[in-house]
Amino acid sequence: MSWKSPKAFAAILLASTLLVGGCGNSGNDKNNAAGNTGNSGNTQNEQKAEDTSPVTFTFFGADASPNWNNMKDDVGKVITEKTGVTLDAEYDVGSGGGQSKIALMAASGDVPDIIFAKNEIGKLIDAGLVLDLTDLIEEHAPNIKKVIGENMNRLKYSNEDPAIYQITTNVGVDQQNFDAGGGFEIQQRVLKELGYPKVRTVQDFENVLKQYMEKNPTTDGQPNIPLTLNADDWRIMITVTNPAFIATGAPDDGEYFVDPQTYEAKLHYKRPEEKEYFRWLNHMYNEGLLDKDTFVQKDDQYKAKIASGRVLGLIDQEWGYQDAENALKTAGKDESTYAHFPVTLSEDYEDHSFQTAGLDGYGIAITTECKDPVRAIKFIDWLASDEGQVLRMWGVEGKHYTVDENGTRVVPADIQDRKVNDSTNFTKESGIGQYRVLAPFYGDGVKDSTGNYYTTNFPDQIVAGYTEAEKETLKAYNATTWKDLFPAEDAFPAKEWGALYNMPVPTDGDYQVIFQKTQDIIRKRIPEAVLAKTTDFDKVYDAFLVELDKAGAEKMEAEYTELVKKRVSLFTGKEVK
Amino acid sequence: METLSEKPGTRNVSVTPKPPKKRKQGMWQSIVQQKYLYLMSLPFVIWLFVFNYLPIWGWTMAFQNYKPSKSFSEQKWVGMKNFVDLFQDERFYLVLRNTLAMSLMGLIFGFIVPIFFAVFLNELRGSIFKRTVQTVSYLPHFVSWVVVGGIITKMLSIDGGIVNELLLSLHIINEPIQFMAEGKWFWGIVTASDIWKETGWNAIIYLAAITGIDKELYEASRVDGAGRFRQIWNITLPGIRTTISVLLIMSIGHLIGIGFEKQFQLQNALVKDYSEVLDLYALNYGINISRFSYGTAISMFTSVVSIILLLTANGIMKKTTKESIM
Repeated sequence: MSWKSPKAFAAILLASTLLVGGCGNSGNDKNNAAGNTGNSGNTQNEQKAEDTSPVTFTFFGADASPNWNNMKDDVGKVITEKTGVTLDAEYDVGSGGGQSKIALMAASGDVPDIIFAKNEIGKLIDAGLVLDLTDLIEEHAPNIKKVIGENMNRLKYSNEDPAIYQITTNVGVDQQNFDAGGGFEIQQRVLKELGYPKVRTVQDFENVLKQYMEKNPTTDGQPNIPLTLNADDWRIMITVTNPAFIATGAPDDGEYFVDPQTYEAKLHYKRPEEKEYFRWLNHMYNEGLLDKDTFVQKDDQYKAKIASGRVLGLIDQEWGYQDAENALKTAGKDESTYAHFPVTLSEDYEDHSFQTAGLDGYGIAITTECKDPVRAIKFIDWLASDEGQVLRMWGVEGKHYTVDENGTRVVPADIQDRKVNDSTNFTKESGIGQYRVLAPFYGDGVKDSTGNYYTTNFPDQIVAGYTEAEKETLKAYNATTWKDLFPAEDAFPAKEWGALYNMPVPTDGDYQVIFQKTQDIIRKRIPEAVLAKTTDFDKVYDAFLVELDKAGAEKMEAEYTELVKKRVSLFTGKEVK
Repeated sequence: METLSEKPGTRNVSVTPKPPKKRKQGMWQSIVQQKYLYLMSLPFVIWLFVFNYLPIWGWTMAFQNYKPSKSFSEQKWVGMKNFVDLFQDERFYLVLRNTLAMSLMGLIFGFIVPIFFAVFLNELRGSIFKRTVQTVSYLPHFVSWVVVGGIITKMLSIDGGIVNELLLSLHIINEPIQFMAEGKWFWGIVTASDIWKETGWNAIIYLAAITGIDKELYEASRVDGAGRFRQIWNITLPGIRTTISVLLIMSIGHLIGIGFEKQFQLQNALVKDYSEVLDLYALNYGINISRFSYGTAISMFTSVVSIILLLTANGIMKKTTKESIM
């Protein structure tokens, strides 16, 4: 083509448009916003008449906080009055996470005095912008020391750099759960009709579904579905693959199983007992009890089926089908909501859903830009005091709660009503929930010196939220909440390696690529194994395990094992080989 | 684009004034003569440069081990490593096969069906009916793939899906077929849903070209005794031939960059070996695991192949039909 003609020029332009059009398709960003933080706060506690002269600290929070009211709320006013501190706060926008904002801070060195940086703290630490709090806590923060207690090691950054850069504030210390939302689910009407049978093993679960199905093949003229699962994208982990370790007595460590003695990590699919779990699923499919649409349906179809009330059993977490269950409640089909059971492969196993990971999370940090770090740590320390915690969680006494003659904190009915039905305005006015991430706190279920819970979540409230049908089922099983049916937290030791989903993995090298490859294999082969003919199951499953190793699983597991060991020795101070 | 159309009787003859003198006089002279035209096009050239040429700078990432937190001078250069990795990955060839298979099927059917549709719609009498059909047929274009994905999955479901119900009631099959679980069906399902969604929309441009054909030609042929089909064959189709060629060349240029929405919405774990296309591969093995450089290498590959395809198609068309877009 000739460069002299305008035509050629036009051709180049066209070609270039195509060129750029061709390469413009990859700008997709994935937000891994793990760990959510609410906010809240309130109290009164006395500080030893320390310096309460007015001071302003700048603050950045990596979670969006649309209800932030510049401390003009009730709780904020009390905090300023007691400590003299005013926060000039900025929060991330949109879905939060702070990635770009904090990357900019790290590059420019322009950081606020106090920061809640979530996953991005590493960038600031690498840029040398975060203070080591070890000595500050030791000298000036008795309340923080008290709340964190034995968990101090878990705040350390790494073996190479055992400094404390952040104090965990997105999870409560010694948090207990009051309700169970997981396990295996069966509709209340099924249990009622069969006279509340014992549901402990997958065999019991299967029998219940089968017996009911034989008696009642349809609901409202449409065929009943004994069991359906949701394999749409990542949901396959929640309803298909995670239950394999839940039903075989292993705790949730993501895609891995960590041997508690040797700390060897391996893909949990390699455990022989899990093969037996998938064999049971295969059996369910071949018996016609597992919905044939399971691996094809989309999330919305799954929920639509549940909302129609004809799905008898599920293996899911409550948040996964909450919308559908709410629709059932609205439609007055209470009896079609689900009961939760800690079902396992046989009675030799125990459901480990409530094994705690211990304190492990994101936290609050003080930067090198802070002019008066001592004052800042004292501020955080005051918020971590009993007075500070009650103020942050409950609000102002006499306004948001009252103390009755027995010394029990009570939330008046009108306030409770506003919390539920007018929560945005209430949060803005009261500030309850807005100051949660600023300082460590005790989790749900921990009582203070007055015998009251530190937080406003406690069992009575959970029960008040149950429907009549749920209460009836629970009564038949002699339980108050679903959690009563499950082994409790104290049945298991806290995991020495914390929450592995919080553990940073190497972004360089092959680790991520191998992980992605094994994920692809798992999501393809597990459905294949479940849908195989009974006689082919062994063949398919064994080939699946071989394929994993061929993709480099062993190398990846070895790398992961090293990381787990380092973490254990960091958290516990133990020497791990 | 002035060679687009030289047929008499069509209205899309180029409006660019013909240079009064021969081309030999060179570019500079014609620029001086047409300085106002050039001035007017300047803003668009700048726009094009800023948004389409400057970003090509980002291709340097493909030769680095790119880390977002570092500045350009701190990046580590790795030469052709990303391309070597790419061409050594078996999955890449599988993905390439899927991409080409689906885009070829899309090209063949998605190209022919709208032409037929436009030609036959044009033959309909009664403008109200015609307009209604046209409007109804292009409405699906505005439905997002998220919704279409849901509709298709539901229609093909074995739990009351309309396709299986229909086939069962006609006794064509005895047992419902799990369409979405079979890899071999996937390419066809994607192509068919694409045709359903885009036929009406793609036909608009042909309908516009058909209205441009001189009515006298039809009258004259009727006098000569030509029937409906003869008119279509000898007047309508030649009349829109240039439009057809241009669109064909353009779609060949886009052959390898077919996007990922359809596949993303319709896929499930069971058919992944048939559903993953290049863009999805770039997402899963590039950006999602922070391998920005690898993702860039894939995009670069796509772009280069697109240009080669475009130039080849253009060259062939130029030789065989004397029509081309450059």
